Amino acid sequence: MAKIKKFFRYENVGMLFVLPAFLYMLAFVGYPIIHNIILSFQDVSAGNLVKGTRNFVLFDNYLELFGDSVFTTSLWNTLRFTVSCLVFQFIVGFALALFFSKRFSFAKPVRGILLVPWMIPITVTALMFKLLFATDIGIINFLLRSLHLIDKNIEWLTTPGTAMFALICANVWIGIPFNMILISTGLTTIPKELYESASIDGAGKVQTFWRITLPLLKPTIESVLILGFIYTFKVYDLVYVMTSGGPVNATHMLSTYSYKLSFEMFKYSKGSAVANVLLVILLFVGVFYIRATTEGEKE
Amino acid sequence: MKKRKLAALLTAVAMMTGILSGCGSKGAESAPAKDAPVADGAFAEQESAAGDAQLITIWYYWENEGHQATLDQLIQEYNGSQDQYAVTAKYVPFADFKKQLSIGASADELPDIAILDSPDHASYVDMGIFEDLTGKFNVDNYYEGTVNSCTVDGKLYGVPFGANCLALYYNEDMLTARGVNVPTTWAELKETAKALTTDSVSGLAFCSVQNEEGTFNFAPWLWSTGATSYDIDNENGVRALAFVQELINEGVMSKECINWTQGDVMNQFIAGNVAMMVNGPWQIPTMQSEAPGLNWKVTLIPKDTQYASVLGGENYAVVNGGNVDGALDFLTFATSEEKVKFMMNQFGYISADKTIAESQFAEDSPYYPFVEELNYAMPRGPLAEWPSVSDAISLAFNQVITGTATPEEAAAQAQATIDGIVN
Amino acid sequence: MDEEKRLSRKKNILFSVIAVALFCVLLFPLYWALITSLKTEQEIFQNPPTFYPHILNTKSYAAQVETGDFNMFRSFANSFLISTGATLIAVLLAVPASYGIAKYRFKARKVLLLSFLVTQMLPVSVLLTPMFIMFKNMHVYNTWVAAVLADATIGIPFSVLILKNYFASIPKDLEEAAYLDGCNKFTAFVRILIPIAKPGVMVCAIFSFLYAWGDLAYGMTFILDQEKRPITAGIFNFMGQYGTKWSYLTAFAVVTIIPVALIFIFMQKYIVSGMTSGAVKG
Repeated sequence: MAKIKKFFRYENVGMLFVLPAFLYMLAFVGYPIIHNIILSFQDVSAGNLVKGTRNFVLFDNYLELFGDSVFTTSLWNTLRFTVSCLVFQFIVGFALALFFSKRFSFAKPVRGILLVPWMIPITVTALMFKLLFATDIGIINFLLRSLHLIDKNIEWLTTPGTAMFALICANVWIGIPFNMILISTGLTTIPKELYESASIDGAGKVQTFWRITLPLLKPTIESVLILGFIYTFKVYDLVYVMTSGGPVNATHMLSTYSYKLSFEMFKYSKGSAVANVLLVILLFVGVFYIRATTEGEKE
Repeated sequence: MKKRKLAALLTAVAMMTGILSGCGSKGAESAPAKDAPVADGAFAEQESAAGDAQLITIWYYWENEGHQATLDQLIQEYNGSQDQYAVTAKYVPFADFKKQLSIGASADELPDIAILDSPDHASYVDMGIFEDLTGKFNVDNYYEGTVNSCTVDGKLYGVPFGANCLALYYNEDMLTARGVNVPTTWAELKETAKALTTDSVSGLAFCSVQNEEGTFNFAPWLWSTGATSYDIDNENGVRALAFVQELINEGVMSKECINWTQGDVMNQFIAGNVAMMVNGPWQIPTMQSEAPGLNWKVTLIPKDTQYASVLGGENYAVVNGGNVDGALDFLTFATSEEKVKFMMNQFGYISADKTIAESQFAEDSPYYPFVEELNYAMPRGPLAEWPSVSDAISLAFNQVITGTATPEEAAAQAQATIDGIVN
Repeated sequence: MDEEKRLSRKKNILFSVIAVALFCVLLFPLYWALITSLKTEQEIFQNPPTFYPHILNTKSYAAQVETGDFNMFRSFANSFLISTGATLIAVLLAVPASYGIAKYRFKARKVLLLSFLVTQMLPVSVLLTPMFIMFKNMHVYNTWVAAVLADATIGIPFSVLILKNYFASIPKDLEEAAYLDGCNKFTAFVRILIPIAKPGVMVCAIFSFLYAWGDLAYGMTFILDQEKRPITAGIFNFMGQYGTKWSYLTAFAVVTIIPVALIFIFMQKYIVSGMTSGAVKG
């Protein structure tokens, strides 16, 4: 009894708050994750999905991947896509958050409306950008032609390099409001008195930004970037609708390739292995995040 | 104040418990349905009210409304003709069909009948989810290719639903205006396409998407040279790839074809943006209703060394864990001559049954050239690993179309992949 | 910030003009979709393109009401139901969880936090089969409950990670004052912290809702009956059906966007004021 009391008196009470959510996630995602890890060490294809024996093949699926050029392309694509998107959407989102934190007449309504790109189902966004980047009827080609930057239409979605660019544009468009709203909310947690005393001390705007805004926003920025990384890294719908990984696999991501292997080519185990590579990479990012956010805390 | 907030929280928790217990009770409701002699518990949940009839579920992927209505009519007729079984059909989008069947196979949650794309048939037979139908249907009069697509190791695992193949559509007014003839060889095709190409019109188009649909459309060109799906890295295979590349490079075919489905190609054709296209007979009903004034005709796909086309269409398959008797009963009804004729005409398909097909269309019908083309049509596969072979082929023609590889390189790369699969 | 005081009139006008310009640039894709949906196919292909429909074409909207067994309004309602359910679960579970992680220093804290992150690290495609098997065994396959349960798994970890920062930013003395008033740990959480963290909770609810709203894979895979499917499944079907018939596709896009946009713009008073009123006045 005393032991139980002791347990509840101290920090362990916090566990009780976390437990329901944890159990929920364990139930619905924990099992799939384990299922997927096991599958990736087996040799499951159409022939033994339902009947027949599944053999454990250790790391064969993983080894096979590194000789697979589509896999290495997908890996590289996923990385450059994620990094490019994060950089652009973070910078623009941050700038917009700072801009709209000023108290001018239109600040609140316009900021509210700018969230709209984020609420559109990604399938629809992909569709709209496919239209914008269309070769013959695309408005982007028209604008470039009007400005005499090009004289022949660019075949955005049917040329490897430009297709990736179009995907990044679409994803940044979705990501800007996400960054803006989270940073905006983060800005509100900074006590105004700090800015007041800084301005009394004669600190300039730039100095205030580097000395007060950025350090105090650190937890928000970390969340935004890490979450942004995780959600961008497993991008699926956008690529599937806009390019389906083409042309010639130039925009395949780990997620789309995993899907293709599993559900179009019936190579379930290999598809799982690709997904697990994605998981391992994100796991590193996640560990880094946990270390960064909990550093200096007293246990 | 304090109490009220707590009460609010409790209410919220209670609401959530309500949600969860809600699904619990739902489970209890469906339990009896599961024990009933019905194949599919989940579907039975809402449909079992229909009476004592056993429920038979069909999955199909036709997004075309006319096709859906026709299938629905067939089912209504069947349901009205007897009261032992009640058939219902579920639309699963084509892009999702393989996934849904794969997941359903893992979870033992499949329909009783699947109407699936013929080249995928062998893969599902390999999965072991289809019933052996040998001796249950007489397919002696069917086109050999259609029967082959559902035959594995000499056993019949399906019944061809209907056949189609690809042929060349041309806009007759455009040809007349330019004073050019209907092409019959590749050289003529290229010349004609060149003559028809203007700033706003492409001479030729065919779907070149990097998936099975694209492979389907590339196959006639590949096979016309004498190359096979498994033997590409040779003079013939390279010639087929080079021909497609020339069409793109000389501007008579748009590179956008790698983004155009067959439906898109048809839309471009009826909009007058394309003068000639390769497409299937199932587009005819839509073309007739959407562009009644357009003057078009169909002919054989021009040849390199021999005429070639590709066999398409769907097969019926019976799932072996389901209500096999009911499924067979429905299929016996659906494959009767009268019903086949009705379905084929409504669909714009050609009967897989040769005897029906030969009398199906009059000689002046736009469908007639497809019946002739069918004599040159070969099936893809059948091979359990066909999706992987198809993937290698579709990569190859996408490489040459986008200019990321020469025909020689693309052929060599595809061959290496295919050898790894087939050998 | 240092400009929290009212801006000068000149600056006010300048900033407002910039804001409107940003608005136009960032929302141009939406405008383009809207006008494309009102053009005829012929006008869409016109060169140079027209910036407003010269011939008004509403056929594309009519087609959506008529199309097959797909019902726009019903699928909209389905999406709404699914998203609301998922949001409810996500907020109810995530708010206490993030509080626990932010305010207590128990041993398993880092592991729990990481495990929430890990659940977001697999592409949806490989979760589909095992989830499907679970839902089938729970007898919720082919019901909206399956989509709700699955969609909540996106909202929960996301909300936990965002909200923990807000709870962490709330000064300890507020809580201590509550304890002095005789609250225990749970009542302090309910009475003091939830109201203060309201903007954060709001943001989480919005994100959870939107993740569920945009979900395609779960809704398509776990619900087979067309009449129970969410609106995203409708878009997907429509794309298969109409390929590059842009007037139809964009009309569908507009119909999907407008009602949500309206609700959102209507609600933004609460969202934005909650956000900017300053959660914590230090």
